[in-house]
Amino acid sequence: MLADFNFRIIFEYMPLFLNGLKSTFLISIISIILALMTGIVACSCRISGIKIIKYPAIAYIEIMRSTPLLVQIYFLYFGLPTLGLRIPEIQTGILALMLNSGAYIAEIIRAGISSVDEGQIEAGVASGLNYVQRMRFIILPQALGVTVPPLLGQAIVLVKDSALLSLISVAELTRSGQTMTSERLMPAEAFFTVAFFYICIYLCLKTFSDWSQKKLIYREAY
Amino acid sequence: MHLKKLALTIMALALTLFLSGICSAGTLAEIVKRGELRVAVQSGAPPRAFVDKHGKHTGSMVEFAREMANRMGVKLKVLDFDWDGLIPALLSGKADILAADMTPTLKRALKISFTDPWTYVQPCIFTSTKKSYQTIEDVNKPEVTVGVLLGSTGETIAKKYLPKAKIKSYKGGGRMILQALVAGHVDAGVNDDMSVLTQMPDFPPNTIRLLDKRLGRGKDPLSFAVRHESVNLWQWINLYFKTIRADGTYDDNIAYWFESTEWKKEH
Repeated sequence: MLADFNFRIIFEYMPLFLNGLKSTFLISIISIILALMTGIVACSCRISGIKIIKYPAIAYIEIMRSTPLLVQIYFLYFGLPTLGLRIPEIQTGILALMLNSGAYIAEIIRAGISSVDEGQIEAGVASGLNYVQRMRFIILPQALGVTVPPLLGQAIVLVKDSALLSLISVAELTRSGQTMTSERLMPAEAFFTVAFFYICIYLCLKTFSDWSQKKLIYREAY
Repeated sequence: MHLKKLALTIMALALTLFLSGICSAGTLAEIVKRGELRVAVQSGAPPRAFVDKHGKHTGSMVEFAREMANRMGVKLKVLDFDWDGLIPALLSGKADILAADMTPTLKRALKISFTDPWTYVQPCIFTSTKKSYQTIEDVNKPEVTVGVLLGSTGETIAKKYLPKAKIKSYKGGGRMILQALVAGHVDAGVNDDMSVLTQMPDFPPNTIRLLDKRLGRGKDPLSFAVRHESVNLWQWINLYFKTIRADGTYDDNIAYWFESTEWKKEH
């Protein structure tokens, strides 16, 4: 049966796959950066003592974490237009991934910050450092080092979640596989190739995270 | 070390996938021995195949399949798949017959065998009542976005007749194009007219309309399909349709499902 595996067709469809890879990559990178920013903002609001920004942040984080991403995508794409706001599909996809991952990232960063020992903050206060200085020199350097591995995990989840965008007609990697399957009826070849490219993206992210983690720990040691 | 392990896992997975395919000598004999005819359908396409309000699989195609099972003297088992899952289900032996809104194309026939067409449909262009399009030329413009179903005949036809328009492919049944049209993500859509006409009542009245001129050269056939090696079953299905055309069963089915709306009361 293995003899039926058709590599020629995979090469014939390579331009389609590379196009899909390109848009999955770009959508993911943009979404990861935006999600990181959203996460930092949401986390700062979440841990601040001011109630008027704390409670909306909690609501946002809990809503995003308790609803499926597909529901969020369908709501943004099919639901919002009936309420009078229409966003094109790629922007909808980036927005959904950003909002969804942002909530998880906020929680990851919050966990990182709360992992810093209380005594160190007290020592900072005792040394006369103000809030910003304590954050910059004591808490964040330690918190960031701890959060890099779970942030990478979230980035990988985001890349895989971007496959759902194929359902709102975004021409990304999974959609390339679906197109090839529907045109040539070769799901084994199509999704094998799609999986291969996802593994490539994963390995890139992993290399980057290993490198940045070393970098962070090295720099902060001095 | 890490990569080597990964490669091994992938290879083991690929091997299992390929070995799980089933080869059988006589599908027809097997069905009779098993006492069950397994048919793969895609629900959500009334009146051809859908789940009715009693939760039962029915529709013109499903009833043809049920009658097939009756005449074979076996039970019918309906397996519901998404469009992409239909052909793999047939090829892997999960289903004996594929009964979907499938047009026999030469490309698909490289993988599966189609029976003689059992009915014909006409692809049409539909649009929102807010748009002023009247002819195919009005829609065939770079600023117009047309929604189709991925892998459907509508997609092929739209690319052929509306080469200047921007095409967006959706998944999940014809309803998704209507949904995208109502939401304003597409300006028009292409699908077969029977699907559009039966799905239109689910949307607010006077939001969707069909252009008068149909696409394509007349009519588009729909066929049942079997695996290449199921030659005996393929011949049996062709003989079955000849027989029921002769004894009137075929006309009754078509009249009930396509020429009246009586079925809407019962299902």
